[in-house]
Amino acid sequence: MKIVVAYKWTRDPEEASARPDGTVDWSRAKPGLSTYDPVAIEVARQLAAETGAELIGVTVGDKGVGTPLACKAALGRGLDRVVTVEDGSLADAGRSELAAVLAEVIKHIGDVDLVVTGDSSMDVAAKMVPTVLAGELGWPAVAEVTSVTGKAGELRVGREIPGGAQVLEISGPAVLATSADAAAPRVPGMKDLLAAGKKPVEHLDLAALKVSPQNAVMTVTGRSLPERKVRKGQLIDTADPAQAADELLTALRQAGAL
Amino acid sequence: MTEPVEPDFDVIVIGAGIAGCVTAYQLAQQGRSVLLVERGEEPGSKNLSGGVLYSRGMEQVFPDFLTEAPVERRITRNYINFINGDSSVAVDYRDARLAEPVNAVTVLRAKLDPWLAAKCEEAGALIMPGVRVDRVLTEGTRVVGVQAGDDELRAHVVVAADGVNSFIAQDVGLRKKPPQHHLAVGVKAVVSLPRKTIEDRFTLTGDEGAAVAAVGDCTEGVGGGGFLYTNIDSLSIGIVVRLDDLTAKKKVVTDIFDHFLEHRFIAPYLEGGEMLEYGCHLVAEGGLDMVGDIVMDGMVVVGDAAGLTLNTGLTVRGMDLAVGSAVAAAEAVGAALDQKNTSRATLAAYREKLFASYVGKDMETYAKAPHFLETDRMYKEYGELLADVLYGAFNHDLKPREHLVKVARGSLAHSPLKIMQLVKDGIAGARAL
Repeated sequence: MKIVVAYKWTRDPEEASARPDGTVDWSRAKPGLSTYDPVAIEVARQLAAETGAELIGVTVGDKGVGTPLACKAALGRGLDRVVTVEDGSLADAGRSELAAVLAEVIKHIGDVDLVVTGDSSMDVAAKMVPTVLAGELGWPAVAEVTSVTGKAGELRVGREIPGGAQVLEISGPAVLATSADAAAPRVPGMKDLLAAGKKPVEHLDLAALKVSPQNAVMTVTGRSLPERKVRKGQLIDTADPAQAADELLTALRQAGAL
Repeated sequence: MTEPVEPDFDVIVIGAGIAGCVTAYQLAQQGRSVLLVERGEEPGSKNLSGGVLYSRGMEQVFPDFLTEAPVERRITRNYINFINGDSSVAVDYRDARLAEPVNAVTVLRAKLDPWLAAKCEEAGALIMPGVRVDRVLTEGTRVVGVQAGDDELRAHVVVAADGVNSFIAQDVGLRKKPPQHHLAVGVKAVVSLPRKTIEDRFTLTGDEGAAVAAVGDCTEGVGGGGFLYTNIDSLSIGIVVRLDDLTAKKKVVTDIFDHFLEHRFIAPYLEGGEMLEYGCHLVAEGGLDMVGDIVMDGMVVVGDAAGLTLNTGLTVRGMDLAVGSAVAAAEAVGAALDQKNTSRATLAAYREKLFASYVGKDMETYAKAPHFLETDRMYKEYGELLADVLYGAFNHDLKPREHLVKVARGSLAHSPLKIMQLVKDGIAGARAL
């Protein structure tokens, strides 16, 4: 059995700042493993450990995603090997384009039984790539996955749905997006990181993958910040706690908050 | 003698700050197998430094340091400032000789440390960020490796470069918890400003930089001082105050820092800037007294962890001493590995080399500085006295003028300072600095 974890090496938006004109300054943001991807790796690692499957990390993106530092960060979490597509032209690639490249990498690897992804990427957070990828591959896509057991062709998948949970059985290959807290990721130890440096890394050339071109070009032509709500700045200043509580209650009622 | 088990590495360095990186780099260059373990997700993410690096030592290790490394500005202007509430007296020392050869540069550790770590990697060291070493492994009196979580790795020599608190050195009993009067707390912010604005406000051209050192009201009279350094397009501003004096005067360090930022003589430099970073860190100020035992069987201690910091009042140093200690340590560790004897006796060559170098010599020269800088008068009365003398000279209130000496005597008579204190402090200062 072959399990692929599609992960993203990208910038943390918490370290970015939005300029008044709506453009984003990423210059201080350091690249790293996308927040939820360690969860996906851990879910897949546990299944691989149970089934003896090979666990392959796949990442596609801008220059930097294939650096030794980036690959070791992913490999240290328990992947057996990593396959990357590192290309400057993917810097501004949209979700569908990234999914199309991922699909070609998965075909290149061959005989993949399962693709696991994180809940969403930390920089875009659109939750679209797993679904589009499944569409490209002609496989079912399942989001909010909380557990995976079984083996190739007989997967048992737990997922959250609005108002409850479901258990699914899937008879063929599938793309699963794990929920944000599906597993507690392990912090790689020194031995994991030592081993990571010795694991194989394969760099694929984007041009050689024959990804079908997108039929439409999408360009961002405008950006704006969300409208900032004006705060009331109301201060309740009294020595008597009971009176302060009364005033707070009155103020909240007047504001329609209670 | 070395340990019977063949270890995983020749050397494990704990901490990828300046001392750790430079030690690891040089040992890797000697062809040793080196592991550099760093607690932060990236080197430079856990430490805090004022930001002036006296760069000559670094150039001995990296000849192209000034052109290759991410340095900010060459310091050609040192502005030493006694700041009172409403007055300030400064010495503005500018010198082209400070630019060629370059003497000191401003650095931002978030940029410098990753560069240093990359150099280590190029030289063949293995870097492990995001790993916190819990303790060193010992067998008898010998350190044989490190433990992090469930994992243990062994080495012929462990280098403790884990910073001012050095839990590693404390854990193995090399260092005691330093007394409070040897410790200070630093608060620092990085404020972004356009390059042109910085050059205009500090009258700088090109990559020239300014370093402002301030004492007095900037720390609300608490022992310590303020600093303001120019980077390319940001300012590093901060205060360092002695812990014991802070406690005695019942002040809160962040309040003092806010007071400094808002001070009428400081705020104009920062106007319109945006705060990019804000941090707090312990600073060792014990000088020579803090350098304890730095060698044991299988381990050496370098940089801040070894207590190697100097505050002379005019210059505040740590990073260049870290470089010097790393050079001494790498030589001694290398020689010990060649002799296949990494005992305390062999590694003691590190201490000898350290004290034969500028690091040890300077620590000895300024051994009395910490005590002198504990003089309370430095932080309040002297600045006010200087301003009063100058006020007497410049304030033409239509009274007949007096010779400056007389004005100074008059000011001293009104100051709480006594002439004997002045003489005593003068002599002590001359001896300490």
